[in-house]
Amino acid sequence: MNGRIAALNEIRLGRRPFLAGLGVAAGGLAGGLSLEAGDAFAAAPGSPSFSPNVFVHIAPDGEVTLVCHRSEMGQGVRSSLPVLLADELGADMARVKISQADGDAVYGDQNTDGSSSIRGHYDSTRRIAATARSMLVNAAAKRWGVKPESLVARHHRVEHAASGRSMGFGELVALAQREPIPKPETVRLRPDVELEHVGKELPHLDAKAFVTGAAPFGADVRVPGMLVAVIARPPVVGGRVLGFDREAALAVRGVRHVVQLPEPKKPYVFQSWGGVAVIADDTWAALKGRAALAVRWEHGENASYDSEKYRDTLKASARAPGTALRQLGDAPAALATAARTVEAEYYLPHLPHAPMEPPVALAHVAGGRCEVWAATQNPQAARREAARALGMDEKDVTVHVTFLGGGFGRKSKADFVSEAVLLSREVNAPVRVQWTREDDVRHDYYHTVSQQRLVAGLGADGKLVAWHHRSAFPPIGSLFGSAPRPTAGDFQQGVLDLALDVPNVLSEACEAPAHVRIGWLRSVYNIFHSFASNCFIDEIAHARGADPRAVMLEVFGPARRIATPDELGVKELRNYGGSLTEYPVDVGRLRGVVERVTEISGWSQREKKGRSLGLAAHRSFHSYVAVVASVAQAPNGKLAVDEAWVAIDAGKILNPDRVRAQMEGSVIFGMSLAFHGAITMREGATVQSNFRDYRLVRIGDAPRAIHVHIEPSDELSGGAGEPGVPPVAPAIANAVFALTGKRVRDLPLNLAFDV
Amino acid sequence: MTETGWTTLQFRVNGVAREVEVDPEMPILWVLRDVLGLTGTKYGCGQALCGACSVHLDDHVIRSCCTPVRRAQGRSITTIEGLSEDGSHPLQRAWVELGVPQCGYCQAGQIMTAAALLRQRPQPTDEQIEQSLAGNLCRCGTYTRIRAAVKRAAGL
Amino acid sequence: MVGRFGGSLLGICLLLSGCSRPAGSGEARDPAAASAALPAVEAGELRPLGAFAGLSEGPDRAAALFTEASRVLLHPRCVNCHVEGDSPAQGMTFALHEPPVVRGVDDRGVVGMECAGCHQDRNLELSRVPGAPDWRLPPQAMAWVGRTPDALCEQLKDRGRNGGRTLAEVVDHVGHDAFVTWGWAPGADRQAAPGSQQEFAAILSSWADNGGACPPRTAASDD
Repeated sequence: MNGRIAALNEIRLGRRPFLAGLGVAAGGLAGGLSLEAGDAFAAAPGSPSFSPNVFVHIAPDGEVTLVCHRSEMGQGVRSSLPVLLADELGADMARVKISQADGDAVYGDQNTDGSSSIRGHYDSTRRIAATARSMLVNAAAKRWGVKPESLVARHHRVEHAASGRSMGFGELVALAQREPIPKPETVRLRPDVELEHVGKELPHLDAKAFVTGAAPFGADVRVPGMLVAVIARPPVVGGRVLGFDREAALAVRGVRHVVQLPEPKKPYVFQSWGGVAVIADDTWAALKGRAALAVRWEHGENASYDSEKYRDTLKASARAPGTALRQLGDAPAALATAARTVEAEYYLPHLPHAPMEPPVALAHVAGGRCEVWAATQNPQAARREAARALGMDEKDVTVHVTFLGGGFGRKSKADFVSEAVLLSREVNAPVRVQWTREDDVRHDYYHTVSQQRLVAGLGADGKLVAWHHRSAFPPIGSLFGSAPRPTAGDFQQGVLDLALDVPNVLSEACEAPAHVRIGWLRSVYNIFHSFASNCFIDEIAHARGADPRAVMLEVFGPARRIATPDELGVKELRNYGGSLTEYPVDVGRLRGVVERVTEISGWSQREKKGRSLGLAAHRSFHSYVAVVASVAQAPNGKLAVDEAWVAIDAGKILNPDRVRAQMEGSVIFGMSLAFHGAITMREGATVQSNFRDYRLVRIGDAPRAIHVHIEPSDELSGGAGEPGVPPVAPAIANAVFALTGKRVRDLPLNLAFDV
Repeated sequence: MTETGWTTLQFRVNGVAREVEVDPEMPILWVLRDVLGLTGTKYGCGQALCGACSVHLDDHVIRSCCTPVRRAQGRSITTIEGLSEDGSHPLQRAWVELGVPQCGYCQAGQIMTAAALLRQRPQPTDEQIEQSLAGNLCRCGTYTRIRAAVKRAAGL
Repeated sequence: MVGRFGGSLLGICLLLSGCSRPAGSGEARDPAAASAALPAVEAGELRPLGAFAGLSEGPDRAAALFTEASRVLLHPRCVNCHVEGDSPAQGMTFALHEPPVVRGVDDRGVVGMECAGCHQDRNLELSRVPGAPDWRLPPQAMAWVGRTPDALCEQLKDRGRNGGRTLAEVVDHVGHDAFVTWGWAPGADRQAAPGSQQEFAAILSSWADNGGACPPRTAASDD
């Protein structure tokens, strides 16, 4: 294990009291969630449970509580990691309760981001479970005077086959508590074949809670004396309040306070955005109060930002030399002597996250302590930011994690938690900060805007001799104060790790300053890098009059495992936190999903069936995904994706149905960004405000079928939450070209077509 | 902005008689969530664009984020919590069987709308399903499973 | 956004401008209006009755009055809903209503997407949703999007298509109907129809008094 993934194994093991969390049961809570003030700082439950570490708790009655330390935002992590834990432990899932962890470094990494829950925690999760299991087994062994190796832990019991004796987990609690905790490296993992449930069709453990309204999301937590805040934020990043009508807001019945928030200082990171908060007894009063504020703004340095004009800046940047981050051979020379060249420029606009649940957090600052309930992807960052904003010690801050109504990267940023804690302290009461949809659309950490330029040199036989790629985009690092140019760490996503069987390659990072807060959106830079490379391969194919599939496989090259940065022509590859030796660029697996998806979609028959298909494939987060989209045109000219096929190779997976669901969802997500998704800025402010002018795909637009093939694999787990997204938009654009003969290089498609 | 006078209103929610004293213009969504503590109905957009707030007012689907509570006077509201005793409505069952929800946030609204559809059209066509559910957004993209689950619940 | 009602989209936009147009701008002219040289008017206003005094009473004046009234009738606030098909439009560019809605058997939408499920009896400011009592689509017989003023005039006079109304009843309807009223108080940041309801009613009343003649075939609204 190397790099970041190794660090995840450093779970502190020790006896800890059962941490107060939301304790959401696998079967769901009945009725709404309401916490009395006493629960806020509750101590461990009275009955002594066996808790060898913070993840596993077994009560004397046999009930097993497994802690999920990663946020649930629809990717099904609660129906995956705990199942692995239970399988390794030998617990019966019917007697398992899943508890959501608070933000605490003791759990290791909790930043539910980067499609890393399984791939980053597979080993540590098994070891955690195996530790508990071995203590149960050792306890039973001592009790019966037999060797531990002669015992088996399964179905919630420890069994001694030879004598037929067995004891339930609950019965063993008192004995197991006395056992020394073995070192994680020394515990034996079960043979994989003994893992009974993972990898098979598994239920969605929280589905019932969702369909009965019982699952608590961020705004569903209620505490006595709670107030609701709605904030008027500066329309332009970096803007400030000049004045507002406090009395008009206070005149609204139910409004209690009007509080101006501090202006953020660069680098912005996760600071509150500033502005004016109206705090009231209920959400409606707060909304009315904010509408009465009539805030006057000084818009500041970004007030002239016009996203349309900025395109020209980006275009110029991508047409000029940048910093070379990938080099093989001599691309400029090869281009100069190539038999022919193909060139194209691609533009993708800012995109918002727009999760169905807008950001929301509840905070209670009192008595030198701070308690937060938030729909957060990163509870430790939330804890850190709350402590920083309040000037408190982290140990005095508790962050509870609710269900998230979608995240997509938005809720890794702790700004909305920062707002809640500041306001709670200011008014000395629990305060829920509720973002409206307009707030969410207008004040997002947008997916960055990008412009790319690609030039390919072809030999006389049509094969690629040179590939020159320039990419200009304001990087996320700008949020943290770094330079206005993509780095190698940014380029790892789809530029440096792109499989290219081309002797001359040059990839350059071009300058692009940021004028908005930029953040990471589901699959991040892969979105536009994959769009460009996959559309460009299609363009090369059509320029040659060749089958795009054949050209794609030719460009990727033969099956091989690229395991050194040298082979890629780069100095180093961040490689999503894993080493290249463990997670090479595996061209065989990339080819495999291309071959599979074109097989199941009937690619070779596409002309005969009168379909217009488009193909794209991409490696990201250690997984390989290929998509074929079928685009049709209605008599009135409206385009639609009527069918889609996805092939994913994500290595060893835990919950196939959740992976399938992620691929289905990625197709819809990718369709939305291809067809409709654009955030534009004028005079520094976002033009769009709600789903009226930022449209999303609806049920009538969805394909009549999405076929997902999951490649069986014993390779190390790759991600599933994000890898489905990057190939979707280019597959659609390529299909649109096949259908209409019109090549779209700028998204969204609704600028050129009726969609 | 003029402040309308608060008023006392009576209506039923999930079969239980309720009385509230509120701004009559307060949308039913906030009455349900903030006043009555029924948090199953969600806020997604506040402009009748996403359907997350869908509930039944008598037999009709309404977007509770826009419907002022004065419209509920003397009438009956059904929320996701009241659709069945224990998640046993055919739609709820079908949703669980087919693993429809991902993040789950939009699903109460989807189910409430679908429930009204099935009550009026027990065997809906694909087109009818899509027309009736057109107002319910799902950002996670569970539409293909929603379609299948509605049909399963309808016995199709 | 690509317009959805194509066809005479350009004609309609020119129709609504109400401003003087240079010669040769391409659309058909009403010879009577041209010769009467009606004064120019702002796009958001209606010509006062006095502006028509130069036209002889009877058919000439009636035709010009109706053409003026058609600047309201063919404004997006009206034609967005006075559609033949199943779905209304919204905004100023005939974009399809979002979320997508369909007429249903009684012009009030379908299960789950009934008009009154979102639209209230009055405009909502924070939600931006426009409203009037019993918000619904007008019957298909009252569709007139894309019509020229002469065809619209024939339609309004046709008792088979205007809800069985006499001319006087039509005039009374436009003076008092809540949906018509809404056209000038559409809420949020929506552009109102030109002029006011009173001015519109006065124009149509004078049109009726002058015999209710229709503009000649294919007249455009104005220059």
